Amino acid sequence: MNLLNPYNVNLRSGFAILNFAISKLKTMKKVVIAALSIIISLNLPAQGKFQDNAEFSGYVRGSFQGFSKNYDLTNVFAQFALKGKYSGRHTIFNAEVWFLGGHHFGEFYNKLEIMEAYAGYVSDKFDFIAGNQIVKWGRTDGFSPTDNISPRDYFFLTSDVDDQLRANLMARIKYRFNPSIDLDIIAIPFYKQSNYRFDLFDMGGMAKFGEETNPEFSFTNATLAGRLNFELPGAGFSLSYFRGYDPYHGFNLKGIELDINAPNPMPSINYSSTPYRKQTIGGDFAIPAGSWIFRGEAAWNITKGGADSLYIPLPSLAYVAAIERDMWGVMGIFQYIGRYTPSYEPIYEPQPTGTDPDQMLYYMSQMVDYQTRMFNRKIFGQQKKSNHAFAFTARKSFAYDTFTAELTAYYNITSREFLLRPKISWTIADNLSMAAGGHIMTGEKESLYDYSAPVMNGLFLELKASF
Amino acid sequence: MKSIKLIVSSLLIILLSTQISSAQNPREISKKSADAIALGSMEMTTTLKIMDAKGNTRSRTLNMASRKFGDVTKMMMKFTDPADVKGTSILIYDYEDRADEMWIYMPALKKTRRVVSNEKGKNFMGSEFTNADMSKPNIDDFEYKIISSETINGKACHVIEATPASKESLNSNGFSRKVSYIDKENYLCYKIEYYDLKGRHLKTQIIGDYRAVEGGNFFYYEMEMKNEQNGRKSVLVTDKFKAQSQMSEAQFSPSNLDK
Repeated sequence: MNLLNPYNVNLRSGFAILNFAISKLKTMKKVVIAALSIIISLNLPAQGKFQDNAEFSGYVRGSFQGFSKNYDLTNVFAQFALKGKYSGRHTIFNAEVWFLGGHHFGEFYNKLEIMEAYAGYVSDKFDFIAGNQIVKWGRTDGFSPTDNISPRDYFFLTSDVDDQLRANLMARIKYRFNPSIDLDIIAIPFYKQSNYRFDLFDMGGMAKFGEETNPEFSFTNATLAGRLNFELPGAGFSLSYFRGYDPYHGFNLKGIELDINAPNPMPSINYSSTPYRKQTIGGDFAIPAGSWIFRGEAAWNITKGGADSLYIPLPSLAYVAAIERDMWGVMGIFQYIGRYTPSYEPIYEPQPTGTDPDQMLYYMSQMVDYQTRMFNRKIFGQQKKSNHAFAFTARKSFAYDTFTAELTAYYNITSREFLLRPKISWTIADNLSMAAGGHIMTGEKESLYDYSAPVMNGLFLELKASF
Repeated sequence: MKSIKLIVSSLLIILLSTQISSAQNPREISKKSADAIALGSMEMTTTLKIMDAKGNTRSRTLNMASRKFGDVTKMMMKFTDPADVKGTSILIYDYEDRADEMWIYMPALKKTRRVVSNEKGKNFMGSEFTNADMSKPNIDDFEYKIISSETINGKACHVIEATPASKESLNSNGFSRKVSYIDKENYLCYKIEYYDLKGRHLKTQIIGDYRAVEGGNFFYYEMEMKNEQNGRKSVLVTDKFKAQSQMSEAQFSPSNLDK
């Protein structure tokens, strides 16, 4: 056994790694369980109803994704998730801890991640909750322009895209005017970026992605957001406001390096994931009509400096219109996803103006500027003044909900990118399920999907036991 | 004097015959049967056992609560077992004069979603029960007729056939007719036979272990649904029951489902 790489034995099977990871994490698990037990015993005398309302649960999962162009094993991991929840008359706490070990884009890792850990006061009228929380806003599925609160790890590849959601430290107040109307107010002191690893992509060899740049910790850089939500007879809708740094960040140019001592000197363009500040005024609705549900969402994103700074998008209106219906037992969701950028101006590839060193140097800097801006425009969906895309999801359960087949297709008309995501889930027993499927992305040369495909395309297989 | 006696006698006969015809009115009997069950305001814990034709059993446990506020009965269901569905919550607003509304919260999704509620015939959590079996039947959805009288478990029963009153009701409920066996004395329903859209016997529902609850109503502590075509069976056993829920209206709000 290679002591420097103890996983190589276990990696012979995608799921065998589970045993190893759990054994390594056993000590940490014991500590957490012991801590939770102490908390319970301390609270029992004070709260007679505690036992009725305390819940402990979790799951163990072995997950495999592989067969991409660049990696035979893209993402193989074992996971132990432990959840503890208490819901009393006026007290609530919730914690979810993940112990993960595996192999991720060519690197071994072992980590403990606090997914959620929050506590608070709750009542019929008013809730105040503080801690690490995941918040999801918006009434459309998968594409929600008003959902800017929680970051995502887009490279945590599992059978369920909602596993990519990550918590952030926040204080949250919910006030219910009546059972149909509530106001949700969120304050996030520390910014947390979403994770998208362009360092894994082949982007021409000159682009390098370094450390992330984050705003300084100060109250002026905090995020504030509010949502007034209505659930009225026959329709639900909301109005929302967000002010802060968007977790879905851009990339800023940090510098160009040229090693003149190299045999063939080539410039290295250094990028840093850099967030930008924005305000979003949004709204959404869901209206059932017979067997149909119509959903919609729109957000006006106000940014400053987009014309000058490479990593800041231009102000834009993002919108989604969706219809949903169950036909012959197949649940179908069809969505149109659009973005309108009123101040959009096309940019053109610079041309060299001469051959002397100064002119060439100027041309090179213009070219880097152009490429960076184009790259950020792809990320922000601002490749044209109006961007259009469609998504379709069909889901059907068989054999009394034991099997579920699901297919999601997405096509971006503007960028000509296409995604297909088939998935089959099987509930083997009450506490045991299996999922298998794949991710297939394709796009025109130098599109985001073209960069992503060699890394993220592939098949997945997952086994999950819950307790 | 003679004419007064004749008028009074006539009126009594008319009144009596009206009462008799009212008691024999199949719609009225069905309504009384639905009203006899304490579904309007209650809290309970129930276990759903789903058995396939080979006898393999799966089980789900859920807490249910319902209470009437104005013209709407609000019902909340929260799954507590098994672990893969734990925390999933469903909220239904059952209106008397318009389509129901439904929301679902799934912990993995992290948000509450409004969903279509008119699929009453859809299987409830993979069982032989349907969504319609989880709430009080809407009397206006069906047309009724008495087809016979029979004795079930020593109780004299009306045998009432109900057929969907509209195409919408037919599509929503997913059966062509149902035959209910309703106690002539206390209007408790002991058995319901469901027939599929081709008229074949589809399912048989046996309702039993009725217990009197607070408020003068009854509640069934065991309900079984057998699929006559594939041999599958589902049983709903009430573990705990409390009539007259004291839960506040705020607790039945969609924004409360994630708690």
